[in-house]
Amino acid sequence: MPFKSKTTIIKTGKLEPDRYAFRAKIAGVFMMTALLLLTGKLWSLQLLQSQSYAEQAYNNRVRLVRLPPSRGKILDSKGRVLAQNIPSFTFSVIPAELEKNRLLIQTYSEILGLPEERIRSLIDRSRSGPKFINFPIKKNLTIEEVSRIESTLADLKGATLETKPLRKYPFKESLCHVIGHLGEISSDELSKSSQLGYRSGDLIGKSGIEIEYESHLKGEEGWEQVEIDAKGHRLDKVSRRAPKAGSDVTLTIDVEFQKYLEDIFYQSAGAIVAIDPDTGRVLAMVSKPAFDLNMFSPSISERNWKELNGDHLHPLENRCIRGLYSPASAFKIITALAVLNEKAFSPDRRFICKGQMEIGGQIFRCWNAHGHGSVNLHRAIVESCDIYFYEAGLKLGPDRIAKYATLFGLGTPTFCGLPQELPGLAPTPKWKARGHSDPWKDGETITMSIGQGYLVSTPIQLAVMTAAVANGGRLMRPAVVQRITSSDGAVTFEHTPVVRSEIQLNPGIMAQVESAMKDVVIDPKGTGKKCRIANLNIYAKTGTSQVIRAKERIKEDDRIPYHERTHAIFIAYVKDQPRKIALAVIVEHGGGGGSSAGPIARKALAKYYGLPDPGDSEEK
Amino acid sequence: MANFDWTLASLTLILTGIGLILIYSAVSPMGEAGKIFITRQILWCLLAMIMSAVFLLFDYSFLEDWAFWLYASIILSLLIVWAVGRVTAGSRRWIEIGFMRFQPSEFAKPIIVVILAKYLSTRENQSSLSLPELVRLMAIVLAPALLVLAQPDLGTAIVILLISVSLILFVGISRNAFVVIGLFAGAAIPLLIYLGDKILLDYQKKRIITFLYPDSDPLGAGYHIVQSQIAIGSGGVFGSGFLQGTQNQLMFLPVKHTDFIFSILAEEWGFLGCLALFVLFGLLFIKSLTIVGKARNEFGALLAFGAISIIFWHVFINTGMVMGLLPVVGVPLSFISYGGSSLMAGYFCVSMVLNVSMRRFHYK
Repeated sequence: MPFKSKTTIIKTGKLEPDRYAFRAKIAGVFMMTALLLLTGKLWSLQLLQSQSYAEQAYNNRVRLVRLPPSRGKILDSKGRVLAQNIPSFTFSVIPAELEKNRLLIQTYSEILGLPEERIRSLIDRSRSGPKFINFPIKKNLTIEEVSRIESTLADLKGATLETKPLRKYPFKESLCHVIGHLGEISSDELSKSSQLGYRSGDLIGKSGIEIEYESHLKGEEGWEQVEIDAKGHRLDKVSRRAPKAGSDVTLTIDVEFQKYLEDIFYQSAGAIVAIDPDTGRVLAMVSKPAFDLNMFSPSISERNWKELNGDHLHPLENRCIRGLYSPASAFKIITALAVLNEKAFSPDRRFICKGQMEIGGQIFRCWNAHGHGSVNLHRAIVESCDIYFYEAGLKLGPDRIAKYATLFGLGTPTFCGLPQELPGLAPTPKWKARGHSDPWKDGETITMSIGQGYLVSTPIQLAVMTAAVANGGRLMRPAVVQRITSSDGAVTFEHTPVVRSEIQLNPGIMAQVESAMKDVVIDPKGTGKKCRIANLNIYAKTGTSQVIRAKERIKEDDRIPYHERTHAIFIAYVKDQPRKIALAVIVEHGGGGGSSAGPIARKALAKYYGLPDPGDSEEK
Repeated sequence: MANFDWTLASLTLILTGIGLILIYSAVSPMGEAGKIFITRQILWCLLAMIMSAVFLLFDYSFLEDWAFWLYASIILSLLIVWAVGRVTAGSRRWIEIGFMRFQPSEFAKPIIVVILAKYLSTRENQSSLSLPELVRLMAIVLAPALLVLAQPDLGTAIVILLISVSLILFVGISRNAFVVIGLFAGAAIPLLIYLGDKILLDYQKKRIITFLYPDSDPLGAGYHIVQSQIAIGSGGVFGSGFLQGTQNQLMFLPVKHTDFIFSILAEEWGFLGCLALFVLFGLLFIKSLTIVGKARNEFGALLAFGAISIIFWHVFINTGMVMGLLPVVGVPLSFISYGGSSLMAGYFCVSMVLNVSMRRFHYK
């Protein structure tokens, strides 16, 4: 029925039927023209050029093959290889091309040493997947297997050898946290635009240097156009762009020194960071427990992964940059510098330590229950008297303590060039007001002045802090990468020292604190005397970080359960030698800072300067 | 049921059937693993048919009443996708609902047609669109278009804009507005090129560059175009036959059961097969446009026109990009490509046209 005759019963009455019917016709013409245009293109492709396309498709089909680049090496400061790619061979079948099955199974069962049944079931399984995609039968073939398989390939269709690079870590556990591991690229990573050039199934850095320097290590992919016939067999190469190998990354760390430190660290968990105070170069970075990086290559087994992830000591974590510890008495160095620089009181001002004091109705104890007697700043550092620093904390107030903590790099990441570094925390009353309902208390000020409470730092922050004391107040940016060398030998990056800030202190202050740090080691009552080495001037400070609140003092350490024992902390530096070093040692649940972390620092320094280790007998 | 348009319904079913045959061909080289795609697509077809039948029970005027809420809910869904959507093939386009994954951007297209039809049919005067009206319309369209672009789904964003422009041109714009837009466009193109460089993601830029120079990246994006052109060209007049396309069977063709399914038709069924498909789509368009001219009111006419323009742009952009006539932007071929959301949206569009056709007389 025509539209016009019905206009009388149309609801709105404002319709212009002719207008839309006419426009619909125009639209129709437009759409038909578009379809004609498409048909025209189709005509050109399928009729005019059909011959050439058909040739490409049937006779000389060109298949593009990716040529993955060889990943760059990771080297230590002396050029020793820490991570490199070696070829690994996989034997695969192409399901669509399999012909003489029985012969094939017999042949390869013998070569590969696999039962015929196993190969048969794998081949059956391969048929459920894509017909023309290689299905792996055995990975990591030996050279002998490879040469024997090669001689059979011409006779047996459907069998093939694939070469894939395998990441190898000759030093196994050494530096595992710094080097980091590889893994298959995730869909999240694939979607990021910066990662163009990756395909699913590619390996990509997942932690440490491997992820941080991924863009340098990766290299550029090449390709090869290969002619294959209608059945998918390779005929010839048409064109090729060679892949470009990735750059080599050279670390600042000498793996021999590193390995020595890893070996002397017999306790179950903790960290050592050693840096050069003048340049900020990291000399060693030990995080315990560690793991063998080769477990991840080519891919980690389900069982190993569960084991690593489920371990309550978290071996995958790099404690050097992610472990948060109270710096404990090691922080007294900063409190002391604050006292002197702010002229809170004279260094000669004495306080009487009776082993405890009362603040706001609460008893605060010194670690020495008998008390240190009358102590000035020097004695307070040497004997690590808590009462003196409680008084200092009350005088300074929390904001001034936090200011000096921040000046020495606590509370911000050190930007050492490793991923996922934690910033730690230098707390202030303002900070507490943001997240807590109760206000800042004096008790919190004094616990902060001895490096406990909310104040937490990473081992690398402690090492950088120590270095800043050693070099006279320069806060360095630590670095683990010394150099990046492209595959053609050109150096594209060379580390130059970066001073994050110059800490402005009144002249003479540093010398006063340093003389006390020297006596920490030399003085008979010094808490760091286990770190004594003849003919070497060592400046140090100990720390013992409480894990749980010590209500009762239990004398015999052996009786305290492991997880309730205190963390041992030791910072030390040597500055009057041509090569300087500053280090921080943390032994988790190691007991007293001087007694368990001290000897590690001593052995490290002795090794670094090529001196014989005097051993623990020195203390007696 | 007297006015049910059997021709239109049959055309849709034939197209869906062709789609199933092509998907079967596309997934057959995957072996057993491919079968699941066929089963799933058949289930989606049944669901789409049930949905269409239910929709046809009601007079389409309810869409007019619900236009705002439909629009609000699609904006909300797009926001959800943007926020928590799941990552597939490099972009967020999905919402998980129980066992189903649903792609709101596919439904954004028909819903934009609904809201535009409502807006355009309830205007005070019937003259051509003035400039302020156009600005308001663009605001309605740009909100979902930008959310879709952020997914990032350039293809759908382009289709949304093309549908809106189609509807606006269908209603007509005033001469003043035309002149101003012309000047504005002249000034905006350099700006757009500049912004496009900033906003478009690397892979989107790469696709456009590859479209212009396919040889620049034979391994990456250019691979799609080169391989699909070989597939189409090698099909010739009669094609290589069902399951005989070597480009397909040797897995040269990428994402072939979804966006590149047309190349399988071209390879295995040749020029004649493609021509048949174009004829079927052509009939679908002409039949629908006739219905547009006969609608009982302006809303109905605009609704039907918008719905059919969605299908048209999909067909044009998809086949154009597969043949190398347009850049690869990821638009499915309506009724043919594998994918539930796309199929449901296609059925919804045809149902809207059918609904307008069934109720072209007013019985009150």
